[in-house]
Amino acid sequence: MKRHQLLKVEGLSLRFGGLQVLNDLSLSVREGQIVGLIGPNGAGKTSCFNCLTGIYQPQGGRVFFDGKDVSHLPTHRRARRGIARTWQNLGVIDSLTVTENVMLAQYQRAGYSAMAGMLGLAGTWHRERELRRDAAEIVEYFGLEAVADERTGELPYGVRKTCDMAMALATDPKLLMLDEPASGLSPEEALTLGATLRELRDRLRLTILMIEHHVPLVAEVCDYVYVLNFGKLLTEGEPEAIQRHPEVIAAYLGGAAAEADEPDDDTVTLPAASEPPKWPLTAEGGSHGTA
Amino acid sequence: MGAFFALGIFQGAVYGLLAVGIVLVYKAKRVFNFAQGEFGGVAAFAAFYLVVNLGLPYWVGIVGGLAAAVAMGLTVERVIVRPLESASRTIMLVALVGVALFTIAIIVLLGQPIPRVMPPLMAGTGLNILGAGILPQQLILLAVLAVLAAAMAWFFKTDLGLAVLASSQDTRAAQVVGISPVAISRLVWGMAALLGGIAGLLYAPVGIFTPGFMTLTMLVPAFAAAVLGGMTSLPGAFLGGIAIGVVQNLGIYLLGQQLKVPGAAELGVFALLMLVLLIRPQGLLGKEA
Amino acid sequence: MATATMTFARVKVQRRFGLLLRVTIIVALLALASLPLVLGGDVWAQRISRAAIYAIIGLSINTLTGHAGQISLGHQAFVGIGAFTAAFAATRIGLPLGFGLAAGALAGMATAAIVGMVALRVTGLYLALVTLAFGLTAETTIFNWREFTGGGAGAFAPRPEILSGDRAFALLCLGVLALVLYADWRLVSTKAGRALAAVRNDERIASTLGINTTGYKLAAFSLSGLAAGLAGGLFAHWNQIVQAMDFEFQVALVWVLMTVVGGLRSRLGVVLASAFFALLPLTLPNFLAGLPWQPPFLNEAVYHVLPPFIVVVMLLVVLRFFPGGLGQLLRPATRWLTKGGKR
Repeated sequence: MKRHQLLKVEGLSLRFGGLQVLNDLSLSVREGQIVGLIGPNGAGKTSCFNCLTGIYQPQGGRVFFDGKDVSHLPTHRRARRGIARTWQNLGVIDSLTVTENVMLAQYQRAGYSAMAGMLGLAGTWHRERELRRDAAEIVEYFGLEAVADERTGELPYGVRKTCDMAMALATDPKLLMLDEPASGLSPEEALTLGATLRELRDRLRLTILMIEHHVPLVAEVCDYVYVLNFGKLLTEGEPEAIQRHPEVIAAYLGGAAAEADEPDDDTVTLPAASEPPKWPLTAEGGSHGTA
Repeated sequence: MGAFFALGIFQGAVYGLLAVGIVLVYKAKRVFNFAQGEFGGVAAFAAFYLVVNLGLPYWVGIVGGLAAAVAMGLTVERVIVRPLESASRTIMLVALVGVALFTIAIIVLLGQPIPRVMPPLMAGTGLNILGAGILPQQLILLAVLAVLAAAMAWFFKTDLGLAVLASSQDTRAAQVVGISPVAISRLVWGMAALLGGIAGLLYAPVGIFTPGFMTLTMLVPAFAAAVLGGMTSLPGAFLGGIAIGVVQNLGIYLLGQQLKVPGAAELGVFALLMLVLLIRPQGLLGKEA
Repeated sequence: MATATMTFARVKVQRRFGLLLRVTIIVALLALASLPLVLGGDVWAQRISRAAIYAIIGLSINTLTGHAGQISLGHQAFVGIGAFTAAFAATRIGLPLGFGLAAGALAGMATAAIVGMVALRVTGLYLALVTLAFGLTAETTIFNWREFTGGGAGAFAPRPEILSGDRAFALLCLGVLALVLYADWRLVSTKAGRALAAVRNDERIASTLGINTTGYKLAAFSLSGLAAGLAGGLFAHWNQIVQAMDFEFQVALVWVLMTVVGGLRSRLGVVLASAFFALLPLTLPNFLAGLPWQPPFLNEAVYHVLPPFIVVVMLLVVLRFFPGGLGQLLRPATRWLTKGGKR
């Protein structure tokens, strides 16, 4: 069975002043695939995500989602079509509790208008209870029930990262875009994450596009990999082929030496004092000391 | 019409002085100083007290007024700005609005909200240029501006001046010159207060003044001037002030005198401010948005 | 007061031990709060109306600054336009009071929406500047437009027969305040409240969750203008005459500061702080006159600036020691009384 292209990007180009961040980048993601986007620091991976979600307006190129051109849609309209993402520096709202964050992510399927909610019309109370119940289910699935009523701003990095993931899923997306889901995880946890991503893909019929540095995870979980370097597509292919590709190896080594900064404020903000983050997607992952 | 034009240039120069103070603070602290007008208010009232109430010579009034303004600037820096360094910029803005209100309240408490007339610096009828009577007062203003411009041009070429200008982008620049960020912060607020004080002293003798006159009538045009200059350019802010002064007075002439629209001056400034913000938000001389 | 009514509703759902005690305390507090209205005669009825009007203004600013994270230093324009519109509707068109108030609210909303549309193209600090400039312009231009506002003489806004009594009018003001509080409560408890929290904290995150951030900011402006216009209409009929000098720019600044002192996003804090600053100019002269020692510099004019003076001192204390305002101080008590959420 030939699966159709969920996401198709043609000739994406992005400049900041004189800096060419993305240069004629094309890629595509088929429905049900897990696709990796890798490359050294400063290769333009997060900028690419920002173009796909409409946060940056690229100077050139087009983005098709589910067969339709979404290049000129604002971010929130793209999100409503089923694009969800997580953030390197976490997409949680610190002043809200974990449950409220998940309910925030359910925004698109609240099923009533903001005005009706403000007037307190009869249906909204009922829907709010349903949303809360759904949110509780999601919170439980991610093993966050112990901290469900804590403000996310007061929680350790790992828990907030899980909350970010829970939020992305609560939007009920077709395409899930993950920005370094394994950053801050131990190697074992990263491999567990791989299993979880596959489970999510199969159970929720998701398509996943992920930025990741952790090569074993990419090799294990991805069906297809794109390699970016200096805003250009270096190569693409199956993970096994990519791992042996001499240019990829060179780019990674060279990139590590050059230490180029991504022209983007989405740098990893891992507080030094935070607890060793856990990925609590596994059965025993739910026991956080924060309760 | 010529009279309005000349008046516009004079008023614009005072706006420009305030605007330069606003830009200075903005460059260093990334905050809009809503208390800038009241530096002038404090200077004007202190000078009035010394000259009229105590009968001291005029130059004592000027020195005392400027000293009061600088003292206020340093106090604001110590009591408000530094403790709120980590607060959001909205909170800082609200606090500076509070400073302006507080100063007005203090002036009223100490001096009653009655209108005052400051004697002009120099008596005499003056010259007739463009059909406008140019008073000696205004000639003094021009001289003061020339001296100030030269002094500032010199100052911002020195290492210290460059460190002040660079302090918002790069705290290392200050350390290279061997000055602590705290000293830079004090210097910025002191200079902004001095500029505000000069503006107040120049503007007070023009007509009657009441507590809050600087904030009420001068602050928004001064901000408009700063925005016109791009919020980051000191000469731009000053030229913006002149432009605002002229537009405002032409507005008064065209809308107010000819068409009888109330509040023509405010309307003119508001329209210009909106135009700049919507069409060219980086200002006429600004480099960054 | 009405906050307590709402928390009462929330408490009822909970049915836990201690419920009776909490209900008793809330009822007792409400009864205590209503004492001035019952026993205070017309003087206190007038004061309570003013307090309620200020509370609506505080909640209006809270909608914009607290919920949407935008700032307005020109709120006196929205309130003033509401007031003049209500007065115009009452005397020139002869509309009944309810329609006049609605017209005032809509006028406030329309003005705020227009300002918002323009102002949202600029951000943060520039927004403060634009609203300040707009307020000053409205003050000198619109409010001095003789046909609409009666110029300096002011516009009359008589009350209808049924509301001519001060107590009846106070009940009307409290009723409107209750409605505004209810709307605010439902707003923050439903999807719009969560969306606004996201918009306030990080617009990029909000938009990737499908939230139209510009739409929400504009809606917050409009809602804020609606409440401000409504308060203006009530003010017109409270004073029965509206003058341009009622809406000086200092008033708007005091309103913003008073809302921050009350505590952004704290309904109870905003209502209490607003009521305090509404009553201050009315009760302060009597209070000072009753002191055994008279400070030498006191006179009529000074009473005019004491409220701004006090609000600024309170603001500085609040910003330094408890940034959440009065609401933050009261939170342990309110949390115990409601045993509800964390807010």
